[in-house]
Amino acid sequence: MGTIDISYWNLLIGLLMMGIPILYLWKFKTGLVKSTLIAVVRMLVQLFLIGVYLKYLFILNHPLINFFWVFIMVFVAAETALARTRIQRKVLLIPISIGFLISVVLIGTYFLGLVLELDNIFNAQYFIPIFGILMGNMLSVNVIGLNTYYSGLQREQQQYYYLLGNGATHQEAQAPFIRQALIKAFSPCIANMAVMGLVALPGTMIGQILGGSSPNVAIKYQMMIVVITFTASMLSIMITISIASRRSFDEFGRLIHVFKVNKKNG
Amino acid sequence: MLKIEDACIKFGETELFTGLCMHIKKGEIVCISGESGSGKTSLLNAIMGFVPLKSGTITVDDLLLCEANIDQIRKKIAWIPQELALPCEWVSEMIHLPFSLKANRGVHFSRKKLFETFKKLNLEEELYEKRVSEISGGQRQRIMIAVAALLEKPILIIDEPTSALDAVSVERVLNFFDELSQKGITILAVSHDRAFKLGCNNIIYL
Repeated sequence: MGTIDISYWNLLIGLLMMGIPILYLWKFKTGLVKSTLIAVVRMLVQLFLIGVYLKYLFILNHPLINFFWVFIMVFVAAETALARTRIQRKVLLIPISIGFLISVVLIGTYFLGLVLELDNIFNAQYFIPIFGILMGNMLSVNVIGLNTYYSGLQREQQQYYYLLGNGATHQEAQAPFIRQALIKAFSPCIANMAVMGLVALPGTMIGQILGGSSPNVAIKYQMMIVVITFTASMLSIMITISIASRRSFDEFGRLIHVFKVNKKNG
Repeated sequence: MLKIEDACIKFGETELFTGLCMHIKKGEIVCISGESGSGKTSLLNAIMGFVPLKSGTITVDDLLLCEANIDQIRKKIAWIPQELALPCEWVSEMIHLPFSLKANRGVHFSRKKLFETFKKLNLEEELYEKRVSEISGGQRQRIMIAVAALLEKPILIIDEPTSALDAVSVERVLNFFDELSQKGITILAVSHDRAFKLGCNNIIYL
Protein backbone atom coordinates (compact mmCIF):
# COMPACT_ATOMS: atom_id res chain seq x y z
CA MET A 1 0.00 0.00 0.00
CA GLY A 2 1.71 3.22 -1.17
CA THR A 3 0.96 6.86 -0.55
CA ILE A 4 -1.12 8.77 -3.14
CA ASP A 5 0.95 11.62 -4.53
CA ILE A 6 -0.56 15.14 -4.62
CA SER A 7 -0.18 16.84 -8.00
CA TYR A 8 0.72 20.55 -8.10
CA TRP A 9 -2.77 21.28 -9.44
CA ASN A 10 -4.35 19.44 -6.49
CA LEU A 11 -1.95 21.17 -4.13
CA LEU A 12 -3.28 24.48 -5.47
CA ILE A 13 -6.86 23.32 -4.93
CA GLY A 14 -5.92 22.44 -1.34
CA LEU A 15 -4.26 25.81 -0.78
CA LEU A 16 -7.52 27.56 -1.73
CA MET A 17 -8.80 26.57 1.74
CA MET A 18 -6.46 29.19 3.23
CA GLY A 19 -8.93 31.73 1.81
CA ILE A 20 -11.35 31.01 4.66
CA PRO A 21 -9.05 31.94 7.58
CA ILE A 22 -7.62 34.88 5.62
CA LEU A 23 -11.15 36.19 4.98
CA TYR A 24 -11.91 36.25 8.72
CA LEU A 25 -8.52 37.77 9.56
CA TRP A 26 -9.28 40.55 7.05
CA LYS A 27 -12.94 41.05 8.12
CA PHE A 28 -12.03 41.57 11.76
CA LYS A 29 -9.10 43.89 10.92
CA THR A 30 -6.63 41.74 12.85
CA GLY A 31 -3.66 43.09 10.91
CA LEU A 32 -2.54 39.49 10.39
CA VAL A 33 -3.43 39.10 6.69
CA LYS A 34 -0.04 40.21 5.40
CA SER A 35 1.93 38.13 7.90
CA THR A 36 -0.26 35.08 7.15
CA LEU A 37 0.35 35.42 3.42
CA ILE A 38 4.10 35.84 3.99
CA ALA A 39 4.08 32.81 6.30
CA VAL A 40 2.26 30.67 3.72
CA VAL A 41 4.68 31.68 0.96
CA ARG A 42 7.68 31.07 3.25
CA MET A 43 6.30 27.66 4.24
CA LEU A 44 5.85 26.66 0.58
CA VAL A 45 9.29 27.83 -0.51
CA GLN A 46 11.07 26.35 2.53
CA LEU A 47 9.34 22.98 2.22
CA PHE A 48 10.01 22.77 -1.53
CA LEU A 49 13.68 23.54 -0.89
CA ILE A 50 13.87 21.06 1.98
CA GLY A 51 12.17 18.47 -0.25
CA VAL A 52 14.90 18.89 -2.85
CA TYR A 53 17.65 18.95 -0.20
CA LEU A 54 16.35 15.87 1.61
CA LYS A 55 16.09 13.99 -1.69
CA TYR A 56 19.85 14.42 -2.24
CA LEU A 57 20.58 13.84 1.46
CA PHE A 58 18.83 10.46 1.19
CA ILE A 59 20.64 9.59 -2.05
CA LEU A 60 24.08 10.47 -0.62
CA ASN A 61 23.28 8.98 2.82
CA HIS A 62 26.70 9.94 4.22
CA PRO A 63 27.12 10.17 8.03
CA LEU A 64 29.21 13.35 7.83
CA ILE A 65 26.73 15.13 5.58
CA ASN A 66 23.86 14.01 7.81
CA PHE A 67 25.69 15.31 10.86
CA PHE A 68 26.45 18.56 9.09
CA TRP A 69 22.70 18.90 8.56
CA VAL A 70 22.21 18.56 12.34
CA PHE A 71 24.64 21.43 12.93
CA ILE A 72 22.67 23.56 10.48
CA MET A 73 19.42 22.70 12.29
CA VAL A 74 21.00 23.59 15.66
CA PHE A 75 22.28 26.91 14.28
CA VAL A 76 18.92 27.84 12.72
CA ALA A 77 17.02 26.78 15.86
CA ALA A 78 19.36 28.84 18.08
CA GLU A 79 18.94 31.90 15.84
CA THR A 80 15.14 31.44 15.86
CA ALA A 81 15.14 31.16 19.67
CA LEU A 82 17.22 34.37 19.89
CA ALA A 83 14.75 36.22 17.68
CA ARG A 84 11.67 34.92 19.49
CA THR A 85 12.90 35.44 23.06
CA ARG A 86 14.63 38.79 22.44
CA ILE A 87 17.41 37.69 24.81
CA GLN A 88 20.85 39.08 24.04
CA ARG A 89 23.05 36.99 21.75
CA LYS A 90 26.00 37.04 24.21
CA VAL A 91 23.78 35.56 26.93
CA LEU A 92 21.89 32.89 24.99
CA LEU A 93 23.57 31.82 21.74
CA ILE A 94 26.23 29.47 23.13
CA PRO A 95 24.08 27.99 25.95
CA ILE A 96 21.13 27.20 23.71
CA SER A 97 23.34 25.78 20.94
CA ILE A 98 25.06 23.50 23.47
CA GLY A 99 21.68 22.56 24.98
CA PHE A 100 20.21 21.66 21.59
CA LEU A 101 23.27 19.77 20.35
CA ILE A 102 23.83 17.65 23.48
CA SER A 103 20.12 16.79 23.84
CA VAL A 104 19.49 15.95 20.20
CA VAL A 105 22.62 13.79 19.94
CA LEU A 106 22.08 11.97 23.24
CA ILE A 107 18.36 11.27 22.86
CA GLY A 108 18.44 10.77 19.10
CA THR A 109 21.27 8.21 19.16
CA TYR A 110 19.73 6.47 22.22
CA PHE A 111 16.48 5.99 20.29
CA LEU A 112 18.09 4.98 16.99
CA GLY A 113 20.73 2.77 18.57
CA LEU A 114 19.01 1.17 21.55
CA VAL A 115 15.30 1.29 20.74
CA LEU A 116 15.29 0.83 16.95
CA GLU A 117 18.59 -1.09 17.09
CA LEU A 118 19.67 0.24 13.68
CA ASP A 119 22.90 -1.16 12.29
CA ASN A 120 23.71 2.27 10.97
CA ILE A 121 22.26 4.99 13.21
CA PHE A 122 23.31 7.63 10.65
CA ASN A 123 20.95 6.16 8.05
CA ALA A 124 19.33 9.30 6.62
CA GLN A 125 15.85 7.77 6.43
CA TYR A 126 15.74 7.58 10.26
CA PHE A 127 18.47 9.99 11.34
CA ILE A 128 17.13 13.11 9.60
CA PRO A 129 13.41 12.89 10.52
CA ILE A 130 14.09 11.84 14.13
CA PHE A 131 16.66 14.58 14.73
CA GLY A 132 14.35 17.03 12.93
CA ILE A 133 11.31 16.28 15.08
CA LEU A 134 13.46 16.53 18.23
CA MET A 135 14.80 19.94 17.15
CA GLY A 136 11.32 21.30 16.38
CA ASN A 137 9.94 20.31 19.76
CA MET A 138 13.00 21.49 21.67
CA LEU A 139 12.78 24.88 19.98
CA SER A 140 9.17 25.58 20.96
CA VAL A 141 9.66 24.36 24.55
CA ASN A 142 12.85 26.42 24.93
CA VAL A 143 11.23 29.59 23.61
CA ILE A 144 8.30 29.32 26.05
CA GLY A 145 10.51 28.22 28.93
CA LEU A 146 13.21 30.86 28.48
CA ASN A 147 10.66 33.65 28.03
CA THR A 148 8.90 32.59 31.24
CA TYR A 149 12.17 32.22 33.16
CA TYR A 150 13.66 35.60 32.22
CA SER A 151 10.46 37.62 32.28
CA GLY A 152 9.67 36.07 35.70
CA LEU A 153 13.07 37.12 37.01
CA GLN A 154 12.54 40.65 35.69
CA ARG A 155 8.99 40.95 37.04
CA GLU A 156 9.53 39.26 40.41
CA GLN A 157 12.99 40.62 41.18
CA GLN A 158 11.90 41.33 44.74
CA GLN A 159 11.27 37.64 45.39
CA TYR A 160 14.64 36.69 43.89
CA TYR A 161 16.51 39.24 46.01
CA TYR A 162 14.47 38.42 49.14
CA LEU A 163 15.54 34.78 48.88
CA LEU A 164 19.14 35.68 48.08
CA GLY A 165 19.24 38.21 50.93
CA ASN A 166 18.00 35.62 53.41
CA GLY A 167 20.73 33.10 52.70
CA ALA A 168 19.55 31.32 49.54
CA THR A 169 22.14 29.90 47.21
CA HIS A 170 21.93 31.16 43.66
CA GLN A 171 20.27 27.89 42.64
CA GLU A 172 17.66 28.22 45.41
CA ALA A 173 16.90 31.85 44.56
CA GLN A 174 16.26 31.06 40.89
CA ALA A 175 14.40 27.78 41.56
CA PRO A 176 10.89 29.40 41.64
CA PHE A 177 11.54 30.88 38.19
CA ILE A 178 12.80 27.60 36.74
CA ARG A 179 9.71 25.93 38.23
CA GLN A 180 7.42 28.42 36.46
CA ALA A 181 9.33 28.00 33.20
CA LEU A 182 8.93 24.22 33.32
CA ILE A 183 5.23 24.44 34.22
CA LYS A 184 4.49 26.80 31.35
CA ALA A 185 6.64 25.00 28.79
CA PHE A 186 5.55 21.45 29.58
CA SER A 187 1.87 21.84 30.53
CA PRO A 188 0.73 21.79 26.87
CA CYS A 189 2.90 18.70 26.18
CA ILE A 190 1.46 16.88 29.20
CA ALA A 191 -2.12 17.84 28.23
CA ASN A 192 -1.53 16.61 24.66
CA MET A 193 0.01 13.39 25.90
CA ALA A 194 -2.97 12.73 28.17
CA VAL A 195 -5.55 12.96 25.35
CA MET A 196 -3.41 11.47 22.58
CA GLY A 197 -5.45 9.18 20.37
CA LEU A 198 -8.74 10.34 21.92
CA VAL A 199 -9.10 14.01 21.03
CA ALA A 200 -6.64 14.04 18.14
CA LEU A 201 -4.60 11.59 16.17
CA PRO A 202 -0.96 12.64 16.35
CA GLY A 203 1.11 13.66 13.33
CA THR A 204 3.72 10.90 13.30
CA MET A 205 1.05 8.22 13.51
CA ILE A 206 -1.01 9.77 10.71
CA GLY A 207 2.12 10.14 8.58
CA GLN A 208 3.05 6.51 9.05
CA ILE A 209 -0.46 5.23 8.33
CA LEU A 210 -0.65 7.39 5.19
CA GLY A 211 2.80 6.04 4.26
CA GLY A 212 1.47 2.50 4.38
CA SER A 213 2.52 1.31 7.85
CA SER A 214 0.17 -0.79 9.92
CA PRO A 215 -1.54 1.03 12.81
CA ASN A 216 0.28 -1.31 15.23
CA VAL A 217 3.68 -0.05 14.06
CA ALA A 218 2.43 3.53 13.84
CA ILE A 219 1.26 3.67 17.47
CA LYS A 220 4.59 2.33 18.76
CA TYR A 221 6.50 4.97 16.82
CA GLN A 222 4.10 7.60 18.11
CA MET A 223 4.65 6.51 21.72
CA MET A 224 8.41 6.70 21.29
CA ILE A 225 8.24 10.07 19.51
CA VAL A 226 6.30 11.52 22.45
CA VAL A 227 8.81 10.12 24.93
CA ILE A 228 11.93 11.26 23.08
CA THR A 229 10.60 14.76 22.30
CA PHE A 230 9.53 15.22 25.94
CA THR A 231 12.88 14.02 27.27
CA ALA A 232 15.01 15.95 24.79
CA SER A 233 13.01 19.13 25.43
CA MET A 234 13.52 18.79 29.18
CA LEU A 235 17.20 18.04 28.84
CA SER A 236 17.80 20.93 26.45
CA ILE A 237 16.01 23.55 28.53
CA MET A 238 17.81 22.46 31.70
CA ILE A 239 21.22 22.57 29.97
CA THR A 240 20.39 25.94 28.38
CA ILE A 241 19.21 27.53 31.63
CA SER A 242 22.11 26.17 33.65
CA ILE A 243 24.68 27.57 31.20
CA ALA A 244 22.77 30.78 30.40
CA SER A 245 22.26 31.61 34.08
CA ARG A 246 26.04 31.82 34.51
CA ARG A 247 25.96 34.67 31.98
CA SER A 248 22.80 36.29 33.37
CA PHE A 249 24.02 37.19 36.86
CA ASP A 250 27.15 38.89 38.13
CA GLU A 251 29.43 37.51 40.84
CA PHE A 252 27.15 38.98 43.56
CA GLY A 253 24.09 37.25 42.10
CA ARG A 254 22.64 40.46 40.62
CA LEU A 255 20.59 39.98 37.47
CA ILE A 256 22.18 41.72 34.50
CA HIS A 257 20.18 43.09 31.54
CA VAL A 258 19.47 40.08 29.40
CA PHE A 259 16.86 41.40 26.97
CA LYS A 260 17.79 43.26 23.81
CA VAL A 261 17.25 46.99 24.05
CA ASN A 262 14.43 48.23 21.81
CA LYS A 263 15.75 50.81 19.38
CA LYS A 264 13.43 53.78 19.09
CA ASN A 265 12.31 54.65 15.61
CA GLY A 266 13.82 57.95 14.50
CA MET B 1 29.39 43.98 63.86
CA LEU B 2 28.95 46.20 60.80
CA LYS B 3 31.58 48.64 59.62
CA ILE B 4 31.36 50.99 56.66
CA GLU B 5 34.45 52.94 55.68
CA ASP B 6 34.55 55.87 53.29
CA ALA B 7 31.65 54.52 51.20
CA CYS B 8 30.43 56.16 48.03
CA ILE B 9 27.46 55.16 45.86
CA LYS B 10 27.08 56.64 42.42
CA PHE B 11 24.58 55.82 39.69
CA GLY B 12 25.88 57.21 36.41
CA GLU B 13 26.57 60.86 37.05
CA THR B 14 24.42 60.99 40.19
CA GLU B 15 26.35 60.64 43.42
CA LEU B 16 24.07 59.60 46.30
CA PHE B 17 26.67 60.00 49.05
CA THR B 18 30.41 59.89 49.50
CA GLY B 19 32.83 59.44 52.40
CA LEU B 20 30.23 57.65 54.52
CA CYS B 21 31.61 55.95 57.62
CA MET B 22 29.63 54.08 60.25
CA HIS B 23 30.33 51.50 62.90
CA ILE B 24 27.43 49.53 64.34
CA LYS B 25 28.03 47.44 67.43
CA LYS B 26 26.52 44.09 68.26
CA GLY B 27 23.01 44.44 69.69
CA GLU B 28 22.60 48.04 68.57
CA ILE B 29 19.42 49.35 66.92
CA VAL B 30 20.36 51.90 64.28
CA CYS B 31 18.04 53.91 62.06
CA ILE B 32 19.15 55.48 58.81
CA SER B 33 17.18 58.55 57.90
CA GLY B 34 17.30 61.30 55.33
CA GLU B 35 15.46 62.87 52.45
CA SER B 36 14.04 60.84 49.58
CA GLY B 37 16.77 60.01 47.09
CA SER B 38 19.58 60.45 49.62
CA GLY B 39 20.61 56.80 49.20
CA LYS B 40 19.13 55.12 52.30
CA THR B 41 17.73 52.09 50.47
CA SER B 42 20.79 51.96 48.23
CA LEU B 43 22.99 51.79 51.33
CA LEU B 44 21.03 48.80 52.66
CA ASN B 45 21.22 47.21 49.20
CA ALA B 46 24.97 47.80 49.16
CA ILE B 47 25.34 46.00 52.50
CA MET B 48 23.38 43.10 50.97
CA GLY B 49 25.71 43.14 47.94
CA PHE B 50 22.90 44.17 45.58
CA VAL B 51 24.31 47.63 44.78
CA PRO B 52 28.03 48.12 44.10
CA LEU B 53 30.04 50.69 46.04
CA LYS B 54 31.87 53.22 43.89
CA SER B 55 34.55 53.34 46.59
CA GLY B 56 35.01 52.34 50.22
CA THR B 57 34.50 49.08 52.09
CA ILE B 58 31.82 47.27 54.04
CA THR B 59 32.72 44.72 56.71
CA VAL B 60 30.10 42.47 58.27
CA ASP B 61 31.15 40.52 61.37
CA ASP B 62 34.82 40.85 60.33
CA LEU B 63 34.10 39.64 56.78
CA LEU B 64 34.92 42.08 54.02
CA LEU B 65 32.06 42.39 51.53
CA CYS B 66 33.45 40.89 48.33
CA GLU B 67 32.57 38.15 45.83
CA ALA B 68 34.28 35.50 47.91
CA ASN B 69 32.46 36.38 51.15
CA ILE B 70 29.04 37.45 49.92
CA ASP B 71 27.32 34.10 50.55
CA GLN B 72 28.71 33.89 54.09
CA ILE B 73 27.65 37.47 54.80
CA ARG B 74 24.10 36.89 53.53
CA LYS B 75 23.80 33.86 55.79
CA LYS B 76 24.31 36.16 58.78
CA ILE B 77 21.53 38.52 57.76
CA ALA B 78 17.73 38.48 57.88
CA TRP B 79 16.57 40.91 55.21
CA ILE B 80 13.24 42.60 54.60
CA PRO B 81 13.13 44.92 51.57
CA GLN B 82 10.82 47.89 51.24
CA GLU B 83 7.14 47.11 50.53
CA LEU B 84 7.84 43.41 50.27
CA ALA B 85 5.12 41.69 48.25
CA LEU B 86 5.95 38.07 47.55
CA PRO B 87 3.96 36.22 44.89
CA CYS B 88 2.43 33.82 47.43
CA GLU B 89 -1.26 33.04 47.68
CA TRP B 90 -1.28 32.03 51.35
CA VAL B 91 0.23 33.73 54.42
CA SER B 92 1.57 30.36 55.61
CA GLU B 93 3.38 29.91 52.28
CA MET B 94 4.93 33.40 52.62
CA ILE B 95 6.06 32.61 56.18
CA HIS B 96 7.65 29.28 55.29
CA LEU B 97 9.55 30.56 52.22
CA PRO B 98 12.89 31.47 53.90
CA PHE B 99 12.80 28.42 56.20
CA SER B 100 12.95 26.11 53.20
CA LEU B 101 16.42 27.39 52.28
CA LYS B 102 19.44 25.21 53.04
CA ALA B 103 21.08 28.03 54.99
CA ASN B 104 18.09 28.21 57.37
CA ARG B 105 17.36 24.51 57.81
CA GLY B 106 19.22 24.51 61.12
CA VAL B 107 16.63 26.93 62.50
CA HIS B 108 13.80 25.17 64.29
CA PHE B 109 10.49 26.55 63.08
CA SER B 110 7.34 25.85 65.03
CA ARG B 111 3.89 27.36 64.98
CA LYS B 112 4.15 27.79 68.75
CA LYS B 113 7.20 30.03 68.38
CA LEU B 114 5.58 31.87 65.48
CA PHE B 115 2.37 32.56 67.41
CA GLU B 116 4.35 33.75 70.45
CA THR B 117 6.10 36.24 68.17
CA PHE B 118 2.74 37.15 66.57
CA LYS B 119 1.42 37.99 70.03
CA LYS B 120 4.34 40.33 70.73
CA LEU B 121 3.59 42.16 67.49
CA ASN B 122 -0.17 42.25 68.12
CA LEU B 123 -1.02 39.80 65.33
CA GLU B 124 -3.80 37.21 65.53
CA GLU B 125 -3.00 33.53 65.05
CA GLU B 126 -5.83 33.26 62.47
CA LEU B 127 -3.74 35.30 60.02
CA TYR B 128 -1.59 32.22 59.43
CA GLU B 129 -4.47 30.46 57.66
CA LYS B 130 -5.51 33.45 55.54
CA ARG B 131 -4.83 34.41 51.95
CA VAL B 132 -2.22 37.18 51.48
CA SER B 133 -4.91 39.24 49.69
CA GLU B 134 -7.04 39.15 52.88
CA ILE B 135 -4.48 40.81 55.17
CA SER B 136 -3.54 44.49 55.46
CA GLY B 137 -0.19 46.05 54.53
CA GLY B 138 0.54 46.65 58.22
CA GLN B 139 -0.18 43.02 59.11
CA ARG B 140 2.04 41.83 56.26
CA GLN B 141 4.83 44.10 57.46
CA ARG B 142 4.66 42.74 61.02
CA ILE B 143 4.40 39.12 59.81
CA MET B 144 7.62 39.58 57.83
CA ILE B 145 9.30 41.08 60.92
CA ALA B 146 8.21 38.01 62.91
CA VAL B 147 9.61 35.71 60.20
CA ALA B 148 12.91 37.62 60.08
CA ALA B 149 13.25 37.36 63.88
CA LEU B 150 12.54 33.61 63.82
CA LEU B 151 15.41 33.10 61.36
CA GLU B 152 17.67 33.81 64.37
CA LYS B 153 20.30 35.67 62.36
CA PRO B 154 22.80 37.96 64.14
CA ILE B 155 21.82 40.94 61.95
CA LEU B 156 18.39 42.17 60.90
CA ILE B 157 18.28 44.65 58.01
CA ILE B 158 14.92 46.15 57.28
CA ASP B 159 13.72 48.89 54.96
CA GLU B 160 10.83 51.00 56.28
CA PRO B 161 9.55 48.57 58.93
CA THR B 162 6.76 50.85 60.12
CA SER B 163 5.58 52.64 56.97
CA ALA B 164 2.13 51.01 57.12
CA LEU B 165 1.75 51.00 60.93
CA ASP B 166 -0.18 53.14 63.40
CA ALA B 167 1.48 54.63 66.51
CA VAL B 168 0.52 51.70 68.77
CA SER B 169 1.93 49.15 66.34
CA VAL B 170 5.14 51.20 65.95
CA GLU B 171 5.53 51.03 69.72
CA ARG B 172 5.04 47.25 69.64
CA VAL B 173 7.66 46.86 66.91
CA LEU B 174 10.13 48.99 68.87
CA ASN B 175 9.57 46.91 72.01
CA PHE B 176 10.07 43.78 69.94
CA PHE B 177 13.31 45.14 68.46
CA ASP B 178 14.49 46.03 72.00
CA GLU B 179 13.93 42.44 73.02
CA LEU B 180 15.93 41.20 70.00
CA SER B 181 18.77 43.64 70.68
CA GLN B 182 19.01 42.38 74.28
CA LYS B 183 19.61 38.93 72.78
CA GLY B 184 22.55 40.42 70.85
CA ILE B 185 20.84 40.89 67.49
CA THR B 186 21.97 43.98 65.59
CA ILE B 187 19.20 45.87 63.82
CA LEU B 188 19.70 48.29 60.97
CA ALA B 189 16.59 49.98 59.61
CA VAL B 190 15.71 52.74 57.18
CA SER B 191 12.80 54.84 58.35
CA HIS B 192 11.09 58.19 57.97
CA ASP B 193 8.91 57.53 61.01
CA ARG B 194 9.77 60.03 63.77
CA ALA B 195 8.48 57.82 66.60
CA PHE B 196 10.46 54.87 65.29
CA LYS B 197 13.65 56.91 64.87
CA LEU B 198 13.45 58.18 68.43
CA GLY B 199 13.14 54.64 69.75
CA CYS B 200 16.40 53.52 68.14
CA ASN B 201 19.81 53.64 69.85
CA ASN B 202 21.39 55.65 67.10
CA ILE B 203 20.21 57.66 64.08
CA ILE B 204 22.38 58.21 61.02
CA TYR B 205 21.34 61.00 58.66
CA LEU B 206 22.24 60.72 55.01
